[in-house]
This record gives sequence, structure tokens and C-alpha cells, in this order.
Amino acid sequence: MLKWDELQKANFTDSNARARAYGLVDKGTFTEFVSPKDKLSSPHLPVLGEAIEFDDGIVTGVGLIGKRPIFVVSQEGKFIGGAVGEVGGAKMVKTIKLALRAYEDVKKEHPDSYEDRLPAVVISFETGGVRLHEANAGLLAHAEVMDQIQDARGKIPVITIIGSKVGCFGGMGFVAAATDVVIMSENGRLGLTGPEVIEQEIGKDEFDAGDKALVFRTTGGKHKYIMQDCNFLVADKIGAFKTQLDEVMKIPFNEIEGYRRIGSLKLVEEQLELVKKAVEIAPKDSKDMWKYFGNENPESLTNMSYDEFMKSVKRRERICK
Amino acid sequence: MEMEQTMIGRGRDAIDMIFDDSSVQENEIGNYQFDSEIGPGAVVGTAQLEGQAVTFIASDAQAINPRFNVVYFGIIGLEEAYKMALSVYHTIEADKDKPLEQKRAIVLIVDTPGNGPGKVEEIMGMNKSTGSYQLALAEARKAGHPIVAMVIGRAISGAFLCHGLQADHILSLAKNFGTMIHVMPITSISRITKIDIERLEELSKGNPVFAAGVDFFYKLGGVEEKVEKVEDMRSLIKKHIDEIRALKVAGNFEKLGPWGRGTLGDERGGRTSRKVVMKLMDAQYEAVAEKYLNA
Repeated sequence: MLKWDELQKANFTDSNARARAYGLVDKGTFTEFVSPKDKLSSPHLPVLGEAIEFDDGIVTGVGLIGKRPIFVVSQEGKFIGGAVGEVGGAKMVKTIKLALRAYEDVKKEHPDSYEDRLPAVVISFETGGVRLHEANAGLLAHAEVMDQIQDARGKIPVITIIGSKVGCFGGMGFVAAATDVVIMSENGRLGLTGPEVIEQEIGKDEFDAGDKALVFRTTGGKHKYIMQDCNFLVADKIGAFKTQLDEVMKIPFNEIEGYRRIGSLKLVEEQLELVKKAVEIAPKDSKDMWKYFGNENPESLTNMSYDEFMKSVKRRERICK
Repeated sequence: MEMEQTMIGRGRDAIDMIFDDSSVQENEIGNYQFDSEIGPGAVVGTAQLEGQAVTFIASDAQAINPRFNVVYFGIIGLEEAYKMALSVYHTIEADKDKPLEQKRAIVLIVDTPGNGPGKVEEIMGMNKSTGSYQLALAEARKAGHPIVAMVIGRAISGAFLCHGLQADHILSLAKNFGTMIHVMPITSISRITKIDIERLEELSKGNPVFAAGVDFFYKLGGVEEKVEKVEDMRSLIKKHIDEIRALKVAGNFEKLGPWGRGTLGDERGGRTSRKVVMKLMDAQYEAVAEKYLNA
């Protein structure tokens, strides 16, 4: 693996899950939990004659940003599309659980300065959700992750990172939406139903899964940024995500809830109003929503460089802040 | 085993079978009145179960949402999911000053094949809407409301995650009612994993981690109890509400919900790797905690 300084310059999209995990925290601070050395792989894949990985496609561990312990989950899309099974799911759940344990420990050991040392959870998603080879166990693990996310509310921030090729779909799409802060790159995609399934459901005339531009307009980072489903859009470098994470760590914890899009009665009411608006607008394409939010020439946004886009884009106004 | 008449598509019938006669007040929870036009595929409201008020949340397989053409036959669409989330938040609101002993129960009647799989849904963020419902249920569960999910028909994949898997306890009609609990049918798993159907079918006889069906979820701890007769739904839901309430009053929240089902899956021998992973992570954290807590 590249040295930390090199990792900062590396493309996030092309990097693997471990490189991302090391690069998202301060230099030389990452300790991996249940690493490949421990050889805890899926017991269910060999039964089906499938290859295993000794990390089950998920890198977990702890690092630091300043004095703050950062508990990291980083999914690897190159192993079965980053799909989550029993072992990988347990690693995710336990990482959040450990962050909550560290929260209690920090409060006990540093009662006067615990906010400076408040732990956080960072999840880099690269997954289509449940691993079909162990689908039932994977599904149950998803419910446990969501349960832990709710446990973390009001205690520690949980931050989503999406900048990978696979994106974040299926049951993990719920999980990402349910975290406090979402950081994406243009290459990241976030949704529930993958493009092939939509095409199958509503027909190729309505949605052509082979149309890359359409796929990115529907669930890609730029669209999610306009919709306020992603809080921060960054360039496709590990270092860009890291710099943004450093900034998020400076947000006073009592303001973190204000970055959420769901998770309270008021936020759900705001989202339901947005759905009513969608019924009025009846968008045939994401561009119809971009236009509604004040982007006069939505087509031009799709090809803009990151810097140009950030200068020109108009986003949905949030009601709850 | 004799086949029984299926309850698939009969969410409204189940409401009538489970709750006290003429006690169902649809679209009313606490002081809140729902707009009956919004989210017709979701049926929510207040009813009595043996004289106690409960919130119910079900799917109406007969309803068609005129505004979203992928929402029919029990599919949870954007409006439906937010309506379900609202019903949970208004339940929390209605009892916010009451002690644990008096927090009303929430009964989920589960018969849904999926989340809305459309283009508008993705543009607006379907993941957000059903995600919001899951968070709301988790919040209500942790606030002390006993939540029981009763699977009467289809509990499929992401829809079951949203409407069921955040409950304290999950009950399911036994498989002779045609109950379906799975992520994908074996034919689809075969197509995607490129493993022969014959091989998958052979393996599925003894392997609960991917095979479809109530019995396998039971073995994994994903279903607390199977219900053999429709007439028993009412009394068993009441029994579980009482058990859950007692555990919450005693502070035993960790025995309930997704975490409790993790423990149950290990006890039933269906999910044994989970605990091994978690135990090792505890030890590895303890070995380095000092450094990270006092950086």
C-alpha cells in the first residue's frame, strides 16, 4: 500500500477499502480490527463453492483525527460487490458499538474535556446491500446496523463517505441516509434500487440502465448535493475526503443534528412536502428538479468540473436547519 | 402439513381479526389526524387490544397510489413510508409524558413485497423515506414502546427491513399459510450468483443463511415465534407486548430488537460467527484503547 502522504493524492474511486481507511484518519494512526491476519472469513461462501477474503470485504478499525478516536468501516466493492454478510455485518455493527463504548470511556476519563475527544464513526460505503449467498444473515445484520445508528444519536456523530465505483444501494442505502452527515464525490452514487432493476420494473423507454449519464444524474453525487441528500461534495481524492472530515470534526456536536435529512418528526414533514412537490413537478429526469431549485440551465451542470459546479450550483433550500 | 388459507393481500382483514371489535380508528393517532389521500398503501391508526390503545401500521394490498405508478399490491412507496414514519413519531408524541408502563404498543402487520422501485422514487430518494421509518421505529423502541411485528404474508428483503425488522419481537404465521420471508427467491439468487438452482435447492434444505422461508428465519433468530392458527394472532401479540413491556420496565432493552435477535440467532445455532467476530473486536479494542482515549 502507498505511504499515507501518497494516499492523500490518490483517487478515492481507484483506491481499495484498506487504503481509504488508512487515508481517512491522521497519518500513522489507523489500527485495524479483525484484520486479514485473523482470518475471520465467511463460513457460508465455501459451502457454495465461492472464494473468500480474510477480511470478508470490510475493513474496520480505529484511528485519530486530532485527539478524537475515529472508528472506521470501509467496504470493498471488488469482493462480491461489497455485499454484506454475517461476518462483515458483525464487523460493522461492532465498530459502532465500540465507538459508543469509547464514548463512555472518554466521558469517564476526561469529564471536563470529553467534547475535544468525542469519538466518531466514519463509514465508507461501497455496496449493493445484502450478500445473496448468505442473504438472511446479511439482512438481519442490516437491521442491527440501523439499530446502532439510532443508539449513536445524541452521543457521537456518524458520517457517511461515498466515492466508490459501486456506490451505496439496497439496504445500505437506508443506512447511509440515516447517518448524521453525508460526504460524496461526483463519482459516488446513493440510492435504493439499482438501475437494472428500475429498467426491468418500468421499461427501457422510461429508464435505460445502459445510459451512464442518466444513471449518474439520478443517484450521483451532484444530484444528491442539489437535493441536500448529501451535505458536502468533494473532489475524487482520499485527501479531499479527509480534509472535509477534518472540517466536520470542527462542527460543535450540538449542531450535528442540523445536518440530518431524516430522523425526526420535523424532518419527515419536510421530506413529505418535498414528495408533494414532486407530484406537482412530475420529474421525468433529475434535471427537472435541478431547474425547479433555480438552476436555469441544468444540462450545463452535468459536464462542469468540480470547481465550476461548486461555484454555479443552486441547491434545495432546507426548511429545518 | 395441511395448507391453510393464505393471508397474503389481507392486511385489513388481519386488523379486524387482531383488534377489539369496532375499536379501529383509521388515520387517527393521539391528536393527529392523517390526510386519508396520502399514502393509500399504508394503513395506520389507533385500535384497542384487550382494552388497551395500540398504534397499528399495515399495508393495504388492494390500494393503488394514483400518483406513483409503481405503488400497488402492498409496495411501500415514498408517501407510504413517510406516512408510516409519521405514525410512529405521533405515537411517541402522544405518550411522551407517560412512564414506561404506559407507553402504548405499536403493532406492525407485515405483508409487503418491496419498496417503490421507480425512477421518481430514486430521484427523490426512496432510501431516505423508508430509512426514516426504520429510524422512527428504532427511536420508539428505545423510548419504551413495545413493538411487535406480525408477519401475515410477504416480508421481502428491504421491505421487511423497514416494516418488521426494527420491532422488539417478530411473530410469523407458519409456512402452511404461504408466508414468505426472504431476500430473493432461489431462482433469482441462482441467476445473480450463477450457482445452479439444483445445487442451491439441495443446500437450502439444511442451510438457513440463504434459503427462503419462516423456518430458516426462525433458526437465525429473525423470528421470535411462529403462529400456527390465525385465531392465535390476537392472544400471542398481546402476550409478546406484555413480555416486552416487562423487559423494558426492568431495563433489559438489549434482549429486544435487532440486537436481541442477534443473541437469539446464536442460541438457536443459526448465526454463530457474529459473536466470534464481536468478541475478538472487543479484545483488540481493549489492547489499544489507552492510546486512542488519551491521545
